[in-house]
Amino acid sequence: MFRKWMICGAALLLMVTATRAETIEDKVAVCAGCHGADGKPVDKTIPTIWGQQAGYLYIQLRDFKRGDRKSDIMQPIATQFERDDMLAIAEYFSQKPWPDLGQPRAPKDVAAKAVSASASVGCPACHLDRFQGDGTVPRLAGMGRDYLAKTIADFRNRARGNNPGMSDLMLATSPDDLAALVEYLAGL
Amino acid sequence: MYVKGLAAFAAALGVGLLSGAAVAQEVKQEKQSVLGNATVSPVTQEQLNAADKNAKDFLLTNGNYAQTRFYPGKQIGRDNVKNLHVAWIFQTDVKESLETSPIVVDGVMYVTTSFSHVYALDAKTGQQLWHYAHKMGPITVYCCGPNNRGVQVLGDRVYLATLDSKLMALNAKTGEVVWTTNIADPELGYSETMAPTVVKDKVLIGTNGGEYGIRGFVRAYDAKTGKQLWNFNTIPENSVGVWATKDATGRDMHRNIQAEKDVLAKIGDPYAKLGGGVWQNPSVDLATNRIYFVVGNPSPDLDGSNRPGDNLYTNSLVSLDLDTGKYVCHFQYIAHDVWDLDAVSPTVLVNVKDKDGKTIPGVIHAGKTGHIYVHDRKDCSLIRFSEAMVPQENMWVLPTKEGARMLPGANGGVEWSPIATDPGQELAYAINLHQPMTYHVESSAYPNGKLWLGGAFKVIPSEKQSGNITAVNYNTGKIKWQVKTPEPMIGGILATAGGLVFTGEGNGKFAAYNSSNGKELWSFRAGAGVNAPPSSYMIGGKQYVVVGAGGNTQLDYKRGNNIIAFTLD
Ligand code: HEC
Ligand code: HEC
Repeated sequence: MFRKWMICGAALLLMVTATRAETIEDKVAVCAGCHGADGKPVDKTIPTIWGQQAGYLYIQLRDFKRGDRKSDIMQPIATQFERDDMLAIAEYFSQKPWPDLGQPRAPKDVAAKAVSASASVGCPACHLDRFQGDGTVPRLAGMGRDYLAKTIADFRNRARGNNPGMSDLMLATSPDDLAALVEYLAGL
Repeated sequence: MYVKGLAAFAAALGVGLLSGAAVAQEVKQEKQSVLGNATVSPVTQEQLNAADKNAKDFLLTNGNYAQTRFYPGKQIGRDNVKNLHVAWIFQTDVKESLETSPIVVDGVMYVTTSFSHVYALDAKTGQQLWHYAHKMGPITVYCCGPNNRGVQVLGDRVYLATLDSKLMALNAKTGEVVWTTNIADPELGYSETMAPTVVKDKVLIGTNGGEYGIRGFVRAYDAKTGKQLWNFNTIPENSVGVWATKDATGRDMHRNIQAEKDVLAKIGDPYAKLGGGVWQNPSVDLATNRIYFVVGNPSPDLDGSNRPGDNLYTNSLVSLDLDTGKYVCHFQYIAHDVWDLDAVSPTVLVNVKDKDGKTIPGVIHAGKTGHIYVHDRKDCSLIRFSEAMVPQENMWVLPTKEGARMLPGANGGVEWSPIATDPGQELAYAINLHQPMTYHVESSAYPNGKLWLGGAFKVIPSEKQSGNITAVNYNTGKIKWQVKTPEPMIGGILATAGGLVFTGEGNGKFAAYNSSNGKELWSFRAGAGVNAPPSSYMIGGKQYVVVGAGGNTQLDYKRGNNIIAFTLD
């Protein structure tokens, strides 16, 4: 399946997106209820998905469906989708503009602590310059503060178990440093 | 990321009237390819075979099939290198980590950037001839940056391996795609950053993915059609080995062999998800029709508890038959590695002195451990290893939950950076990192192609980091000279018949040194990290040196997008 997709490549992708244009809108209508009609999540513990990397969005939907990432809310939603739907939905949201949540920049001392912690583990080696993400690695810059804190805590206690590598990195970083990172990333 | 922002800006300019305000700031549209009509002369196998004697071109990523990175031209020498100045600067569209090795074929230069873009340039003027902007699939999974290290040309085809794990042949004249082959499934952790090696109508390629529980390989594809010819799994079905307790230098690795044997009895051979990526080009021995390469770390990197045995052929030198891909010999540096101090930097074929002082065909590799290892090409056996080029402390302390300090840090020593050799002086030149780190271990089950580190390695912020350029006599193992640099070094180095070595630093410095004593003879500030291997070539009777200055993701060195060529007046 996957191989076929790859071989047919861009043309097929475009076609599929085009023929599903209306149904895509239907499929994503429900998302706005929580992730925001304007891309700003309605609750502070809900992540921004507008403008997020397509590869990352797809992988999360896949993981919710598989149960690799546990969520009473997202799992039933993702279960309705097949792989093609997920790819199309991911592409759809990745094309939207990233919303400005208006979070303040971290104070200098907090930012310095965050940058040092980030350099120690090498966060930008994966999340890239200015934490913009790429492919299956998420953008973190400007993500909601409460969500960041929650998901980092979830990585740390493996309640979020869909990426043990990230859990390991979070476990190797002190809660203090992580708190600084949350504030820093939210304010980027 | 920046490239997408830039592309969006370009798109907004181009179609602004059509889409009006709907083109938002964050629209992610890929940069379009720009086809060309370059005048190119096809590259023959004979030319490639003789690349080591050819000062006009720079035909392979590491100069020649032996990968000496020794450039035979000497117009630029110790006396006049002080007059070296910029001939031209080309700015790519992609401002991310730049690890490309420029190659030059009869006046046409090919360079690549992060996200698998390829440019053909006029090597004399820097003018763009064409630009292939790879349309990346949505799923890319990679370690250490969206890098690409280069391409190779055979005939009138340019061969490229992409981040989303495809192998492609492009038309050297236009940049059009001739064929595409899927190498492996990115969703399972496979990606490509290396340049292919093309020889005798075979395209040789390894794979990344040792951080994701892949099963590594080296493959040969038909250069004409893209069909797979052979596959060599870098992890054999029997990966257990000989239960080695000491590393290649004789130090105890503190393995608990009985505990490993108990796990083996319970779970069986762990070969299927054991990692073993191959990051860099193989050397090709044309006389014996063999290739030599090194295999990277086992998965998960720092946790050995569920991968009993030596984890063959991770952290090893391996040799294969070029025609069939059949195993010839191997030598493992670190069995059952739990530090990610693996083997990455490309192998080099040179003649070396064996233990009795007899000159024999050798193969050398610079390790993340900070040693240069010298082998007998016949059976891969180790002849000697060099003095350590970086501080080593507390080897081999086992990683702990809280973190155990050990030097070198997990980036090396010598990372992926290719070394250079000067056979006349019996010297190998390597660039090194010194990054004090703590090693942390955590255990988790195979996560379906997700990041699987088995812990973390952390730079100790309070400890000073540095780098160095080291010249090692590979026939004695002694360090001849060493130049300290303020920051850890990653990128590559070039030696020339002009008695020089050229290399760059993360702070943007690019310099030439006397290859006999390390004296700095010339330097230039590039404005972004020079973390790519330099190349050299001749056009119109003038020698040029070219290097990429685009920084580095892994060490977070300042990003840029410049390809800079230098020449004399
Ligand atoms: C009832 C509220 C709700 C609805 C409706 C909803 N989501 Fe979510 N979504 C959440 C919450 C809460 C999380 C965070 C889950 C967690 O971390 O435990 C989340 C997480 C996600 C994530 C992971 C993002 C990240 O940064 O990791 C994606 C992707 C996602 N949702 C996509 C969708 C899509 C697509 C839809 C519509 C088809 C949708 N969601 C509908 C509440 C909702
Ligand atoms: C080796 C690569 C790597 C490194 C280093 C890394 N990350 Fe990640 N990170 C990832 C990947 C991959 C994901 C996606 C996880 C998944 O598959 O669900 C991720 C996800 C995350 C998320 C979840 C975002 C969301 O929308 O739910 C946060 C937060 C995060 N990383 C923070 C960090 C911080 C802070 C650091 C440095 C201290 C860091 N990461 C270092 C690869 C990395």
